[in-house]
Amino acid sequence: MRRGSVVQLVAIGAVCGAGAALVALLIPWMPHAASEQAGRIDLVFWFVTAICIAIFALVAAVILYAIVKFRAQPGEDADGPPIHGNTGLEIAWTAVPAVLVTAISIVSAVVLAKNEHIPHASAASSDRLTPLVVKVTAQQFAWSFEYPGFGKLTSATLKLPINVTTKLRITSLDVTHSFWVPEFGQKEDAVPGLETTLVITPDRQGTFPVICTELCGLGHAVMRSSAQVMTSQRFLSWAKGQQKQLGSSSGGASGKAVFTNNGCASCHTFTPAGSKGTVGPDLDKLAQEAQRAGKPLQEFIRESIVDPNAYVEPGFQKGIMPATFSSLPKAQLAALVAFLAGGKK
Amino acid sequence: MTDVALHDPHAVHAPPPPPPTGFRRLLAPGWLRVPWMTALFFGIGAGITCLVRWLEGWEPIWDGQVMTTVQLTAVPLGFLAAIGGFDYWMRYAVGSPTREEDHSGHGARSWRDYFRINTDHKVIGIQYLVTTIFFFVIAGLLAMMMRAELAQPGMQFVDNQLFNGLFSVHAALMIFLFVIPAFAGIGNYVIPLMIGAPDMAFPKLNALSFWLLPIAGFMMLSSFLAPGGPFAAGWTGYAPLASTHQPIGAVFFNMGVQWAGASSIMTALNFLVTIITMRAPGMSFWRMPLLVWANFTTSLLVVIATPFIAGSQFFVMFDHVMHTHFFDFTAGGYPLGYQHIFWFYSHPAVYIMMLPGFGIASEVISVMARKPIFGYRLMALSLMAILVLGFSVWAHHMFVAGMAPWLRVPMMVTSMIIAVPTGIKVFSWLATLWDGRIHFETPMLFALGFVSMFVIGGLSGIYLAAVPIDIHTSDTYFVVAHIHYVLFGGSLFTIFAGIYFWFPKMTGRMYDERLGKLHFWLTFVGFNLTFFPMHWLGIQGMPRRVADYAPRFADLNMFISIASFGLGASTLVFIYNMVKSWRYGPVAASNPWRSLTLEWQVSSPPPVFNFDEIPQVVGTPYEYGVPGARHAVFNGDRTHELEETPVR
Repeated sequence: MRRGSVVQLVAIGAVCGAGAALVALLIPWMPHAASEQAGRIDLVFWFVTAICIAIFALVAAVILYAIVKFRAQPGEDADGPPIHGNTGLEIAWTAVPAVLVTAISIVSAVVLAKNEHIPHASAASSDRLTPLVVKVTAQQFAWSFEYPGFGKLTSATLKLPINVTTKLRITSLDVTHSFWVPEFGQKEDAVPGLETTLVITPDRQGTFPVICTELCGLGHAVMRSSAQVMTSQRFLSWAKGQQKQLGSSSGGASGKAVFTNNGCASCHTFTPAGSKGTVGPDLDKLAQEAQRAGKPLQEFIRESIVDPNAYVEPGFQKGIMPATFSSLPKAQLAALVAFLAGGKK
Repeated sequence: MTDVALHDPHAVHAPPPPPPTGFRRLLAPGWLRVPWMTALFFGIGAGITCLVRWLEGWEPIWDGQVMTTVQLTAVPLGFLAAIGGFDYWMRYAVGSPTREEDHSGHGARSWRDYFRINTDHKVIGIQYLVTTIFFFVIAGLLAMMMRAELAQPGMQFVDNQLFNGLFSVHAALMIFLFVIPAFAGIGNYVIPLMIGAPDMAFPKLNALSFWLLPIAGFMMLSSFLAPGGPFAAGWTGYAPLASTHQPIGAVFFNMGVQWAGASSIMTALNFLVTIITMRAPGMSFWRMPLLVWANFTTSLLVVIATPFIAGSQFFVMFDHVMHTHFFDFTAGGYPLGYQHIFWFYSHPAVYIMMLPGFGIASEVISVMARKPIFGYRLMALSLMAILVLGFSVWAHHMFVAGMAPWLRVPMMVTSMIIAVPTGIKVFSWLATLWDGRIHFETPMLFALGFVSMFVIGGLSGIYLAAVPIDIHTSDTYFVVAHIHYVLFGGSLFTIFAGIYFWFPKMTGRMYDERLGKLHFWLTFVGFNLTFFPMHWLGIQGMPRRVADYAPRFADLNMFISIASFGLGASTLVFIYNMVKSWRYGPVAASNPWRSLTLEWQVSSPPPVFNFDEIPQVVGTPYEYGVPGARHAVFNGDRTHELEETPVR
């Protein structure tokens, strides 16, 4: 290899590498991290990206150089030099990638271990926030979040105190789902019959989407909720307020609480509950819908909860609303029906 | 066989047996036998099922789900029996005299012979390729429909059941009816020629293995007509979604996979025996072309791994139809068990879909760069390394699946290590290019397109192998981008390279070079515009397999949809070129690429039994630039035998 060609090759490689680096740096690739874990994932991401840009630049440089320099002349039928191999080169391109992927593996393994580390609560402290445990239950097509440290507190959206390590204990009632908040960078499947865990330490306040990423049926695309990160004080006062509401209404059997806790709000608009979902029919218009179905209002509501496919409002599809609500306790079902029937007022 | 007949590809047959007359025509193997024999098998299937249900007292006696499942086995068996897939073996099995082999089912005299059971590997190879391209176009159209829906957030053209069906059937057809069998088709045509054999080891099995394919394809497609809609649990068909929450269309997938899988296994066995036992004199393993090495390795993967997906789909079908509880968690079933079994096939399947492409790229690059392949032995050994490592990485698809946490780091390490043999291959191709005399004909463009796109797909694979990044990107559009860079930029580009490269050998005519180049550039640009932006979508937060998405992704999705329609249109150029050139293209020389491998040393298309004289292999297949070097000599032409070049 002549000296000139080395210089040219390095120059092409530098240009390709610079181009790739610009693509990597100018486009905001990773979401703005909102957890300690996401910050560490960013670190691995950039470490891998640096290595990949180098490899990409090398390969691109050789291909481009070869395309330009080693092009056969029209009509040329000569062969290239019969080079069969080069032991040194072959050892090099076995060993160097091996070292690089080993480095990536080590960095990844360390970050993985850190991302799943849960600080132990000191024996003296009875603080419910070290760590905070949240039970996440997925079902077609809704999320519910239970806070075992706070009585029967259940919510359809995830509320988390900032800078508190939270351990999610995730399960599913029907098929496999997957819990993901892009800004937290953490994801774990919700597997029926198993409890999986995920550790998140939020470090930025805000509201972020909770997304189901494992295909779970017809309503997969709408299986969304939100995660709100707030200060510890606000979190505690929120929890207290919710508990009070629960306590005041005979063990959670208030229609509104049933509505909220079962995730109805994520799909349906219903003004008395303050919900604005548009995936399912508008529950402010239940009276007209019952008329169309030709059934008395109360009976229509009960049937639509227990057997959602019996009547489907025009413009909506069968099989999206989960049938699992048929297993609601009787008292809760009655409270929910009453709450919905009284809605227009 | 007479020597005179051997030179004319169409004249070597014994005279065909006298055509049957009268009602006997209905008894002879062929399409006339299909209607009544298929009906007969339907009746037998229905009869046995109803009888068993009646005896057991199960109500109702005629159960739609059970009947459909049984008929998805019985009817195809009837069809295969009717066209003559089992005639020879049945005669043998019942002890009646077998017909002496007259080679009447060998070679093609007219286009009609492509629609019959044919035992000629060259006819079968073309049957494979035409069939797979048919399903490639269908699956591509399904993708276009998907992109039409995805052009805007919200729902526009299809409902959720249909959308989920679109991507499920798209993937299933592309994988089981296009990429895997297209490589089998190219292998079928080229391998016996490359190793100097007159045909495959088991021609009748070869014929049967082809006819399983259209059955699998039409079965998967017809799920769109099944009551309740197509199977909509993704090609991965995770239980319990696939086993307990799907319409009967899901069984069309479960059973379609069985037929396609059986076809794969038969072909792989055939390749293995052919390659091991039928190499020409002098063709040691270290003198085999790398395409043969690649198919040898792939066939090992197929025979070891494919039974696992067969098992997984049977279990799901049992859960669905027979109310077993393999994956039903409410009765002690284990949903993660499905994923483990499934990926134990489906990760090796990635290499089943890639290694033959490595082989094609090696052939094309070496010939078109006019240089020996760089590091031949290491290239072959790296294939074997991928074979072994390929079985130790399956759980990297399951880093977020909730499996045993300790399994993640070991699986990450093996997944990372598999990048090493893959890297060896890429660097060796680059070194082969270096200082060559490169001819940029269409096959070479696709081969170079493959190397560059596959590097990007491989690098995004590193991201996905690193557990913390995978936790973030798993099940997002990043994965969609990655698999398309590997399977489209990788497998599909090499399939195109192979089709253009061997087109003159297969058809005896030359394709249109200008159209070929146009096809490459449209595909290359359209492919990158379509799939590269998906990396960003996924990292930012767009999950895969959704018809509706956050409004902030709307502009980019519209862009991707438009690009994908351009990409789809590029296929029209390809099909026009193939059809036109096959009929009217200029007659091709026997060796237009000046290649050394054996398939180019015979006429285009080759004689019915490939070689008039058995070739004597005297050297490695890539001795470009070595004066006077030969890969093989034919009888009476042994002057170069003494110049045999040692393998480095």
